[in-house]
Amino acid sequence: MELFIILGLLATAFALVFAKRLSALVGSFSLQSFFLVLLSLREAVRGAHLDLYIIAGLVLALKVLIIPRILLNMIKEIKANENLGFFINPQLSLLVALGLIYLSWAFSSLVFAHQETLVKVYGAVSFTIISLGLFIMVFRIKALAQIVGLLAMENGIFLLASAVSGGMPFLVEMAIFFDVFVGVIILGVFVYRINKLFVGIDIDKLNRLRG
Amino acid sequence: MLKIPFSFVFDPLSIFFLIIIIAISISSFIYSWGYLQGHYSTAKIILGQILFVLFVFSMIAVVTAGNIFLFLIVWEIMSLVSYFLVIFDTENKKSIEAGTIYMVMTQVGTAFLLMAFLLMYRAAGSFDFNAIHAALITMSAKQKNIIFLLLLAGFGTKAGIVPLHIWLPIAHPQASSHVSSLMSGVMIKTAVYGLIRFGIIILGVNSLWWGELIVVLACVSCLVGVIYALMENDIKTLLAYSSVENMGIILLGIGSAMIFIKLGFTVLAVLAMCAGLYHLINHAIFKGLLFLGAGSVYRATGTRNIERMGGLIQKLPWTSIYFLIGSMAISALPPLNGFVSEWLILIVFFLGALAITGGLKLFFCLAAGALALTSGLTAACFVKAFGLPFLGRARSAKAENAKEVPWSMNLGAGLLALLTILLSLGAVYTVRFLVGVSGFVLAVNTSQINFSLNRFILSPQIGGTINLSTPILALILLLAGSGAFILFYLLYGKARVVIGQTWDCGYYKLTSRNEYTATGFSKPFRLAFSFFLLPFRKVTKIKESRYHVKSFSYETKTTKVFREYLYKTILGGAFGVSRNMRGLQLGSIHIYLGYICLTLLLLIIFVGKF
Repeated sequence: MELFIILGLLATAFALVFAKRLSALVGSFSLQSFFLVLLSLREAVRGAHLDLYIIAGLVLALKVLIIPRILLNMIKEIKANENLGFFINPQLSLLVALGLIYLSWAFSSLVFAHQETLVKVYGAVSFTIISLGLFIMVFRIKALAQIVGLLAMENGIFLLASAVSGGMPFLVEMAIFFDVFVGVIILGVFVYRINKLFVGIDIDKLNRLRG
Repeated sequence: MLKIPFSFVFDPLSIFFLIIIIAISISSFIYSWGYLQGHYSTAKIILGQILFVLFVFSMIAVVTAGNIFLFLIVWEIMSLVSYFLVIFDTENKKSIEAGTIYMVMTQVGTAFLLMAFLLMYRAAGSFDFNAIHAALITMSAKQKNIIFLLLLAGFGTKAGIVPLHIWLPIAHPQASSHVSSLMSGVMIKTAVYGLIRFGIIILGVNSLWWGELIVVLACVSCLVGVIYALMENDIKTLLAYSSVENMGIILLGIGSAMIFIKLGFTVLAVLAMCAGLYHLINHAIFKGLLFLGAGSVYRATGTRNIERMGGLIQKLPWTSIYFLIGSMAISALPPLNGFVSEWLILIVFFLGALAITGGLKLFFCLAAGALALTSGLTAACFVKAFGLPFLGRARSAKAENAKEVPWSMNLGAGLLALLTILLSLGAVYTVRFLVGVSGFVLAVNTSQINFSLNRFILSPQIGGTINLSTPILALILLLAGSGAFILFYLLYGKARVVIGQTWDCGYYKLTSRNEYTATGFSKPFRLAFSFFLLPFRKVTKIKESRYHVKSFSYETKTTKVFREYLYKTILGGAFGVSRNMRGLQLGSIHIYLGYICLTLLLLIIFVGKF
């Protein structure tokens, strides 16, 4: 089960990097969030905490269902070109991602030097997801990729918190969910406005604000 | 949550500063009612007075705060409130500019202090003065040196030590006069308090060069301050530069006390500290008095330019008496208090040079030379500051129509004039009190140290032959003066006085423009110190014929070396760096995100190194 979740999280992270279409990107994100739900459920079953069930439910509702739905609707509505737009093509991105995994592993084994191997692995996976999320934000042109990248980074942080340090306090977790939700809505509004103003959501066109 | 520890100290040093703060602020407060009345709306006057009271309380808190945390907070409150008082005249663009420069400099100073305090806190693990003092005893000399330099830079900015004085002559004149008197009289003294409290009491003098550095900086401040003051034609700016000079004199005393205590000459150290503190209280009082006087002149004439005044002794008799007393005291004319303190510092230098062997002998002789030169130049400066506005004939219609100021202003200034005279005549009592304070500061038992023969005669060299008695000196001068007056009166009488025109070689058209000008007065000094002042001079004549000049214009100005070469370079460098940094800002969101990504990667890669 442990191995399954870890592999799933990693695979979906790679899927995010390799995705060529907007809907594939959103789908991969949804799948990644689903593995997080599995992780939370496993923790909940083991710890028999009501809080963890609620959190798992919320992840399922928000990140697996509602947010991807919102994003997909947005893509449909603004009739965006399905093509993501790359600064670095998927093949090369995959190579970079491999390098990032190695870095994350090295970092994780440095930070969690005195912990058991499983913790190191979880640490490495979460650092990988965070850095790949950032990677997507930097090297993909369409504004939606930035949103998904940010959400993926948030997933990585969630993973780090729940797998390595046994989860954040319930209240903090709730606040973060709320933040993410509001963030997606606001970013969605921005994407609509960008689409209207610039006839497209390629954010490399937003380059006039400079000193 | 961090709890702000409230603790206060009321030791002799704090009480000494409390006395100064209360004496000056009461006089300024009385003065302020007359000064503000009728020039601002009632709401603004109330606002000004609230700020004023807040300012006074923040200064009281600064000198009584019992731990560094509280000290830093009230120190900042003091800076902020004084900033608002500097820009009180909000319609005036100059005030805003002056306020900005003041704000920047004072924040730079506080940054240094913050660093010093954090180092102290790290060593002690406590904010409390006593705990820090105990913890610092075991600190290494190198760290102590760093803390001392940080403290010197931080408090030096507030004290206006050259080259950190730049804000002082800009900000002080822009505040209302009663606030200037408080800022120049008291606020900058809190920096001396800080230096004594943290540098001497808490840190403890660790190396000889601390005192030497302070004395050298003080000599430079003295000379630079007085030379600039001499060039200045704006009466309040002149007084502000003179504050720079007097802070230098105060620090001469304190710096040499640090040298003596390190060398083990405890009696001399007490005398030096005592002289420094004496000059501190003197300067607080007569500079306060002079600023109030300058404010009265400003209210009466509507200008601060000395060139447009003249003959005010007729219009403002009270103000001119106060201003004369203040000028005489600051010029160190016997028997007034300025003379006593500067004389004491000179004696300290001479006794130091006699007691010490080696290079320091020469060092003290040079310091004494610098002080003597400063003292002479100060006298010249205040001949100008008093003579040109008050004597002669009015140089403008404004000065012609000047009216005596309200009684509250005269009362406020009068109190300070009275204090000046009391401090002069009661020199022995003052020194006795200050010996106690100095003994506390330097941790010396002063019960055996007595610098006076009896209630009237000071004798700084214990068992020596150097004596000074201000009451007797005053009596002699009074008798000699009145004797000479009576003699002349008997010889010539009132009837012999004839009032007529000045002889003008038959020109018959002398106007007030033919009077000696302030610029003309300072010309010899401009030439003598031209290597430092770098004066610029431009003369244009328009001639009708070879023999008749139709118009003539003369323009001169001096270069402010520190502003021109030091601060402009720093500012230019900062702006240059900023302009180059703008290359990073390309406008592309992806590149900005890339910066974040890169930083994260570098942090991950180099995490082991930190």
